[in-house]
Amino acid sequence: MAVDAFFEGLSIATTPEMLVWLTLGLLLGIVLGALPGIGSPVGMAIVLPLTLPLDATAAIILLVAIYSGAMFGGSISAILINAPGTESAAATTLDGYPMSQNGLAKNALAIATTASALNGFLAAIALILLSPVLIEVVLAFGSPEYFLLAILGISLITIVTQGSIVKGLVAGALGFMISTIGTAILSPRPRYTFGQFGLYEGIDFVAALIGMFAFAEMMKLAARKQISEGNVELAGSVRDGITTIFRYPVTTLKSGLIGMGIGMVPGSGATTSTFVAYAEEARSSTKDGRFGEGDPRGVIAPEAANNPTVSGSLIPTLSFGIPGSGSTAVLLGGILMHGLQPGPVLFGEQLQITYALFISLFLGNVLILAVGLTLIPYASKITELNTTLIIPMVVVLSYAGAYTLNQNWWDVGAVIVLGVLGFYMVRNNYSIIAFVLGIVLGPIAEENFFRSLQISGGEYTIFFDPINRPLSFLLTLAIFLILFGPFLKGRVKRLVSRN
Amino acid sequence: MSNSESIKRKVTPERIMLVTFLVVSAVFIIEPVIESYPDDARVFPQLTASAVFIGSLLLLLQNYLPGPLQKFVAESVSITTSDSSEVIDQVDDDDELEELDEPEEEYKKDTLGAKYGYEVNETVFMVSTAVLYFVVGWAAGFLFITPLYILGYTLWFRINPVISVGLAVGGTVVIYLFMTYLVLPFDQGHVFDFSPLVPMLFDGAPILLRGGL
Repeated sequence: MAVDAFFEGLSIATTPEMLVWLTLGLLLGIVLGALPGIGSPVGMAIVLPLTLPLDATAAIILLVAIYSGAMFGGSISAILINAPGTESAAATTLDGYPMSQNGLAKNALAIATTASALNGFLAAIALILLSPVLIEVVLAFGSPEYFLLAILGISLITIVTQGSIVKGLVAGALGFMISTIGTAILSPRPRYTFGQFGLYEGIDFVAALIGMFAFAEMMKLAARKQISEGNVELAGSVRDGITTIFRYPVTTLKSGLIGMGIGMVPGSGATTSTFVAYAEEARSSTKDGRFGEGDPRGVIAPEAANNPTVSGSLIPTLSFGIPGSGSTAVLLGGILMHGLQPGPVLFGEQLQITYALFISLFLGNVLILAVGLTLIPYASKITELNTTLIIPMVVVLSYAGAYTLNQNWWDVGAVIVLGVLGFYMVRNNYSIIAFVLGIVLGPIAEENFFRSLQISGGEYTIFFDPINRPLSFLLTLAIFLILFGPFLKGRVKRLVSRN
Repeated sequence: MSNSESIKRKVTPERIMLVTFLVVSAVFIIEPVIESYPDDARVFPQLTASAVFIGSLLLLLQNYLPGPLQKFVAESVSITTSDSSEVIDQVDDDDELEELDEPEEEYKKDTLGAKYGYEVNETVFMVSTAVLYFVVGWAAGFLFITPLYILGYTLWFRINPVISVGLAVGGTVVIYLFMTYLVLPFDQGHVFDFSPLVPMLFDGAPILLRGGL
C-alpha cells in the first residue's frame, strides 16, 4: 500500500501544475523570508485564505514551499544586514554578518544556500523512509490519546519557549476557549454568540492566524526603522562558498541530524535547532574555531540545520496535528481548512497526499539550490525595501483574505482584535504559538474529549488508566512531568541531599 | 510619588490584558449556566475558561502569593534548564514592569505630522488607521476606501507620491481581483452604496484609455 501511495504521490508532485505552485511558493518564501519582520508565518498566513480555490494538495505544497523558501530567505538579510528575516536565521547572523563585513558576502550566501538545500534534500529522503514507521505509530492512537496530545503539545510549547509555564498554559487555554465560540460541535447549540448571527460559525482559525501573525507583526514593524538604509556591497565568490561546504562534511551532516531531531519534537522550531547546531559546532571546534568573527562553520551549522527542521516538524504536524512553530501552526491551519485530517487519514487513505508533500519538499530543495545560487547577485535588492510600503499592503491583504473565508465581517474584526492581543502577548512573553495551537486544535480536542468520555461512560479515568489505556497513561504522565518536573526535581534533590 | 502616579505605574498593558482575560473567562463560565447549555456544549468551554481564569488570577496576584506558589507562577523553566533556582524576579518592582513594556527599539520615522508638530506613535498610528480603514471600508465598500487608506498611510510617512499612487492603484487592483474572481461584495458598503460607480470606473477605464490613445 505504501509503495503504491508513494508512486501515486510522485505522479501528483511532478505534474506541471504542482511544479508551478512549488516554484511560486519557493520564490515567494525566499522574498518574504528575506524581509525582516515578515518571515514565513506572516507570508503563509496571508496566502492561506487565497488558497481556498486551490486543490488541497496544491495548497499544501504551496504553503510548504513558502515555509522552505523562507528558511533560506531568512539568511539573506541575516548575512547582508545583520537583521535575520526569520527568527530561525538569528544564529546565522553570528558569523554570516562578520563574513559579509570581511568581504565574503557571496561566500556566506553560497554556503547558506548549499547547506540549506543539501540537508533539506537529505532530510526529505529520510522523511520518506521514516513514513512506514510513522504509519504504525499513528494508528495506535485513539480519541483519548488525541485529546491528550493536544494538551501535551501546548505543554511542550510552554516549556520549549522558556517562559513562565502559567503564562503558556493561560495562552493555550485561551485559544481553546476562543475556539468554542459558535455552534457547538456535538449539538446544534450556538454558544457565546450573544444574539449575533455572524458569530454562529465562530471565529475562523485562519482569521486568528492572520491576526496573530500578520497584523501583530505589522504592529511591531511599524515602530521599526527601514530594513536597510544603505547600499549593501556584495563581494566574494559563490564557487568558493559552495566548495566550503564539502570541506566540512561532518559539520554539515551533524547539524542536519540536530535540525531534524529537534524539528520532530512538538513545540520546538528552527530557532532552537539552529542555535543548538551552532553551539554544538562551536563546542566541538574550540581548537581552531573563530566563531563570531566570520568562521564559515558558524554559517554552515545553522543553515544545515534549518531546512531539516522543516522536514522534522512535519512529522508531529502531519501525524498528530501538533505543530512545532508558527509556520507549522499555519500549515496545520491550511491542512484543516482544506478538509484534510492530520493523523490516521493522512497516513492511511490519503497517504498519497502525504507522499506528494514529502516529494515536493525533496524537489523544493533542489530548486532552492538553483534559485538561491541564481539570486545571490540580486539578494541585496530585497533588503532595500521600505517597511512603510509593506504595512498597508499586508493590512489590505489580511482584511480581504479574512473576509474571503466565510464572507463574515466578524472574521475581519477578529484579525484586528487578535492582532492587538498577539502584539501585547508577545511583548509580555505569552506564547502566541500556544494560543494559536489552542484555536486550531480546539475543535479536534473538544471532539476527542467528548468521544473519550462517551467511550468511558463519563469516567475521566480513561485519560490515566495504566491497564486499559497505557498510551493515555503515558501521555498524562508526560504532561505532568513536563509541567511539574522542573519544580519536583529541585525538591527531590533537596530531599536526597538532606537524607 | 503621588497616589495617581503610583496607580498609573501599576496599570500596565499586561495587567489590563490579564483583567480582560479574567472578565472574558468569567463570562465563558457563567453564560452556559444562565442560558442552560446542554452538557456537551458546556463542559469543555467551562473547563478551558476555568484554566484561563485561575491562571490569569495567579499571574495578576503573583506578588502576593506564598513562596512556592509564587515560584511556580513566575519561574521560567525549560526542558534544558532544570535548576529551579533560576527564578525570574521580573515582577518584584514596578520599575521592572515598566521596563518590560518598553518597545525593543525606539525609532522615530519622518512623518507628515512631525512636520507640523504632531508626534504620533507609529504603532498607534498603524492600528488607528487600520481600524478606521475597517470601519469606513465596511460602511462605504473596501474597493473605494483601499486607495485612500494606502495613500493616506504612505503619504503620512512621506513616501514619494508617485510610489504612493502606484501602491494605491496596486492595492485597489488586488481588491478588484478579489471582488471579480471570488465574487465578494467589496464594492458595496453597509451604509453608503457606491457600487453603481464601478462600471464607470473600471469597465470604462479601457474605453477611456482607448479614446485617449
